[in-house]
Amino acid sequence: MSCLATRVHRTLPVLSMLAAALVLAGCASTPAPVAQPQRPQIRPAAYPVSALVGSWGIASYREDRDRPRTETMARQHCRTPYVITPGPTDGIMMHVADDPKAYELTLKGGADGKTYLGFETPPPHAQDREILSLTENVIVMRFIAPDVHARYGTFVYVRCPGGAQAAAPRRT
Amino acid sequence: MNRSSFIRRLSLVAAAGFASLFATSAALAQAAPPAAMRETMAIGDEPGRVSTEEVIIREGAFARQLVFFRSTEPVGTLVIHTSERFLYLVLGNNRALRYGIGVGREGFTWSGLVRVSRKAEWPDWTPPPEMIQRQPYLPRFMAGGPGNPMGSRALYLGSTIYRIHGTNQPETIGHAVSSGCFRLANGDVIDLYSRVQTGTKVVIRHAATL
Repeated sequence: MSCLATRVHRTLPVLSMLAAALVLAGCASTPAPVAQPQRPQIRPAAYPVSALVGSWGIASYREDRDRPRTETMARQHCRTPYVITPGPTDGIMMHVADDPKAYELTLKGGADGKTYLGFETPPPHAQDREILSLTENVIVMRFIAPDVHARYGTFVYVRCPGGAQAAAPRRT
Repeated sequence: MNRSSFIRRLSLVAAAGFASLFATSAALAQAAPPAAMRETMAIGDEPGRVSTEEVIIREGAFARQLVFFRSTEPVGTLVIHTSERFLYLVLGNNRALRYGIGVGREGFTWSGLVRVSRKAEWPDWTPPPEMIQRQPYLPRFMAGGPGNPMGSRALYLGSTIYRIHGTNQPETIGHAVSSGCFRLANGDVIDLYSRVQTGTKVVIRHAATL
């Protein structure tokens, strides 16, 4: 009880000051409405995220002239496939750059009309990848951070034989 | 400030600017999950790190230099002394062109006599399985280019898995860091590449013989 009394005793002067401040503020001119910053939105992606699920051979290139043989090498590296599985909610389990831990990522549509892959934050986010093309068996993507892209180049994912596309994950 | 350090600083500034740009947009949106925006891990091999082509070791013992070198090996032979971290190109008349190199870490050094079996510019790189296990996000194949750990040139040694190659980590020259390959700064390996032909004899010794 005494504790409560002490707390009320301490709080009263603060409340009085706040009330005074509100009265004084009432004397001022009406403040102009503050424009709320435009919140970037996550738009629906052009592809279902389930299109990424499966086993993939992955390889990277920097020069366009290397693209065909990179795709061939990706196919050959199905012996060490990169496996994308459904995540616990609507996403898929994948890695971001330079981190050996897998996270749940998702496909996102950007205001620029591009499709991004990354955390569930409005794109483009610094850790996103941009999907350059996506078909049933070949995906081309790149990290959007310029330094990361410079280090790793453009990735080609080639679906491995038997690495079938899984059913769309369901939110639990 | 030399060009490479300038480029490195420039890219850092650009990266910082880029990060802040996205940090702003992320702040406007919902908070990123805890995993988002985490620091890039320190990675020993640093695949993908870009080292510009012109990086040359210019100062100190590991700079390319003409040295006194007593040897019975024919002119043109490459002699590697792993304990010294030097590669010698025998020029004759007790002279050699010496390059600073990075060598295999403990347990990954070797010695022998081989020949250069193949030469490649901006060689492709295939990360070994143990590296894929440590860094599962790596491409299983990386076409040659500036971010490639194999660097700007490679001299393949006989039928072994070892090479003399460039590096995207020139600061590792003089250290025992590799898995048995011999690495030179990209500018230096370009110079060596231009002086060495396929079939060149390569002698790898742990230490200099007296």
